[in-house]
Amino acid sequence: MTDLISLTNVNKYYGDYHALRNIDLTIKTGEFFSLLGPSGCGKTTLLRTIAGFEGVSEGIVMIGGKNMAGVPANMRPTNMVFQSYAIFPHLTVAENVAFGLRKNKQMDKLQKSEAVDQVLEMVGLKGFGDRQAHALSGGQRQRVALARALILKPKVLLLDEPLSALDKKMREQMQVELMRLQRHVGITFILVTHDQEEALVMSDRIAVMFDGEIGQMDDPETLYRRPNSRRVAEFIGKMNFLDADVKSVSDQITVDVAGLGTCTVNAEQAPSGIDTGKAAVGIRPETLAILFDGEKTERETIAGVVDEVVYYGDMTYYDVRIAGVDNTLNIAMKNLIGRPVLDVGAQTTVVWDARSLVLLP
Amino acid sequence: MSLRIYAIAYLIFLYAPIILLPIFAFNDATIIAFPLSGFTTEWFGELMTTKALHGAVQNSIFIAVITASLSTILGICAARAGAMYNFPLKRGILGLVMLPLVLPEIIVAVSLLIVVVQILDLGLSNWTVIAAHVLICTPFCIAILNGAFQNLDPSMEEAAMDLGESRWSAFRLVTFPLVMPGIISSFLIAFTISLDEFIIAFFLTGANPTMPVYIWGLLRFPSSLPIVMALGTILVALSIILLTIAEILRRRGMARVGVKDKGGFL
Repeated sequence: MTDLISLTNVNKYYGDYHALRNIDLTIKTGEFFSLLGPSGCGKTTLLRTIAGFEGVSEGIVMIGGKNMAGVPANMRPTNMVFQSYAIFPHLTVAENVAFGLRKNKQMDKLQKSEAVDQVLEMVGLKGFGDRQAHALSGGQRQRVALARALILKPKVLLLDEPLSALDKKMREQMQVELMRLQRHVGITFILVTHDQEEALVMSDRIAVMFDGEIGQMDDPETLYRRPNSRRVAEFIGKMNFLDADVKSVSDQITVDVAGLGTCTVNAEQAPSGIDTGKAAVGIRPETLAILFDGEKTERETIAGVVDEVVYYGDMTYYDVRIAGVDNTLNIAMKNLIGRPVLDVGAQTTVVWDARSLVLLP
Repeated sequence: MSLRIYAIAYLIFLYAPIILLPIFAFNDATIIAFPLSGFTTEWFGELMTTKALHGAVQNSIFIAVITASLSTILGICAARAGAMYNFPLKRGILGLVMLPLVLPEIIVAVSLLIVVVQILDLGLSNWTVIAAHVLICTPFCIAILNGAFQNLDPSMEEAAMDLGESRWSAFRLVTFPLVMPGIISSFLIAFTISLDEFIIAFFLTGANPTMPVYIWGLLRFPSSLPIVMALGTILVALSIILLTIAEILRRRGMARVGVKDKGGFL
């Protein structure tokens, strides 16, 4: 895969407000790339600078090897699916989809209508061409917006929170459909979302943004298992944090974790450049366990008291208090056969493993 | 119950004088009084042959068409800016633009007369009336067009640009058709306001009076009162028709974009 988009040291100011800070990123051809972050982190601004709706104050945006400085949105090889979908309500579905072909002189009327039918079929709206656009449901509008962008065969499809207006079921269905569609057309997708689950499910790579800068850029698994900072760890999934004191750093790191005691972790479990001294340790709820009666483990254990029980059906989330730690540990347990749901106040044994710890500065 | 009586009395008080217009316009007597003495269309016939009136009507229509066009164009600019862009002092500026809506017309008329004649040292003509009419009509146009523009999704023009259109053609292909009913509605209302505006026209017309000013002149001759009644009848009918068309178009425009009606002037 080759680099399709590269942003070098991109900065954007709105007056005194620094909306994008030193953004450096490259996106490869055919990649499903997500910009993830809380609202106001600059992810939509970044998407709009790639689309050409916003200029950059500093830095270079390259698409397909061409510098995009001064190239307006209508001349860029990108197409966008807007958060509101921006379907033209006075046109039919087919007219909406064919909108981008207006300037195309190589195709005659018949070819255009064939192209429309083809792309409508691809997004699952076969036979909807004659419908009035304003009479469509949310999910259908979304598909029209997709079809309208895809018919131009852009190098990059930009998606600005495309699923946020849909209900949960529809959203999950569209996630899968979007992934399948992306594989099918082979176009680079850049998705903006504030939903970490959506980003994890769909993306090849994710850039997590905070306050206008990229906090971490990695594939979903690395991002989830090896967050490089506390804010990334907090934003992606659930994470327990314990105070820690790093004693020595070499191939292995010796660390004294509040409540758990001294343990040794591998260097890859910490961001590079970690030093001795105060730090934090992150533990995912699903890497902890409660030892039920009759179960055995060879891993480390520690005594605890159940402080809160949240029952989800397939899972139960326990907050367990252990000695020497102020906050409770959140533990996710599958409700397997034979496992009771514990009551608040129950004495338990917590199982943990040094291999699942993440050391954070 | 008493509230209902009040409401009915209120409506009668409001509209009875207007109902008198057509009644006396078809009454066969020069004196405006009951009992009615018979049916005639003579007064309407006389309207057709009064040369001076025709000049006044032509003047008025000329002024109204230009006024409606200019104030609708200004209204489009203001409403679009208000709906799509953020700029410093936006609320204050938009408020200032709407001010003539509540400004007494006599104040506008007198101050414009002073500016035009004393300060600029220009003669009075149809154009001075047009300038003043644009001033008072524009707020109405903005109010109507605001409704049309604020219902638009601002990303719609961006979407059109994203699909390869220039800024202007994005406006022409997407925004314009969607706000078209609002534009027509705005034009018709501005036309109606300008057509029957009296105070400003009275102060600012040059040698050729507008229709309302001509009617005012006719009132000095009691014998021509029925003609005024006939003319008034036509004007009322015309106003009602134009405003109804304007409102129908406005509502149709709303339905077209698939939004709920949020009121309007009617």
